[in-house]
Amino acid sequence: MKTVIVVLIFCLAFIVTMVGQEKFSTKTGEINFEASVPSFEEVKAENDNVSAVLETATGNFAALALMKGFRFKVALMEEHFNENYIESSKYPKATFKGKIHDFNFSQLENEKKYVIKGTFNLHGTNKTMEVPSTISKRDGKIWVSTQFILKPEEFNIKIPSIVSKKIADQVNVSAFFELKAQ
Amino acid sequence: MLILLVVIGGYVAYNYMYQDHRNIQSETSHIEITAPYLLERFKKEDGASLLNQTITVTGTITSIEEGAITLNESVYASFPKIIPKVKVNDKVAIKGRCIGYDELFGIVKLDQCNLIKLPQ
Repeated sequence: MKTVIVVLIFCLAFIVTMVGQEKFSTKTGEINFEASVPSFEEVKAENDNVSAVLETATGNFAALALMKGFRFKVALMEEHFNENYIESSKYPKATFKGKIHDFNFSQLENEKKYVIKGTFNLHGTNKTMEVPSTISKRDGKIWVSTQFILKPEEFNIKIPSIVSKKIADQVNVSAFFELKAQ
Repeated sequence: MLILLVVIGGYVAYNYMYQDHRNIQSETSHIEITAPYLLERFKKEDGASLLNQTITVTGTITSIEEGAITLNESVYASFPKIIPKVKVNDKVAIKGRCIGYDELFGIVKLDQCNLIKLPQ
């Protein structure tokens, strides 16, 4: 009898950890940003190799973008972005770690608005933010999309005055993740 | 004379401003390295010198996804074009640009990849 109980407890503990650790993830999330100023050259880049992990039991969400993975239309702009502004050799990645407010995996279905509260780490600087996002569940996948604004100055990114007119001081960021069960 | 200078100056400036993107596949590889060793170098924080470099990585395919393959569960290589016909367990060599270490998955990522040695 005693052994049966012990085995049962072990099984239960195992099941609980299994459920607790269910993760949805992707390595091909997309992040776009645009800091264009009207009548100047478009300042826009895309990274479609962004990693993200969502823990369904807790609503914990983490994303990681390698800065060198951002592609611009103009090669020189990409070079300046990497070398002068974001300093991608010194700070190769940007991360976000946070928690989705009121997240309940079992109720996830149609598109619904959520707020993800968490910390951005970009250019070696941390900033806590609340990010509005739309999350839905379709075809066994979780779809997360979000749009928000970042300000370079808040991450200690200095834009030289010579080009500051051509780069918006508010950067529009949008991200999209199609997360599959791991 | 002045007009000529302006035209030449303009041409040079335009070419500087709108120079072509790097063509990774026409560049010579900075290093040839196995997939597990490449990951090891980034884990030991000895990978910074490889960032943004064109490198050749050899290894065994452990998974194939849309537009990307993983070597030895250590290196994730994304392809701009469709991946040539390969299967899991094939031994291949990939040439691409090293963009860094992804600590969420514990892998090194490469983009603009191409298979340079197909499985035999």
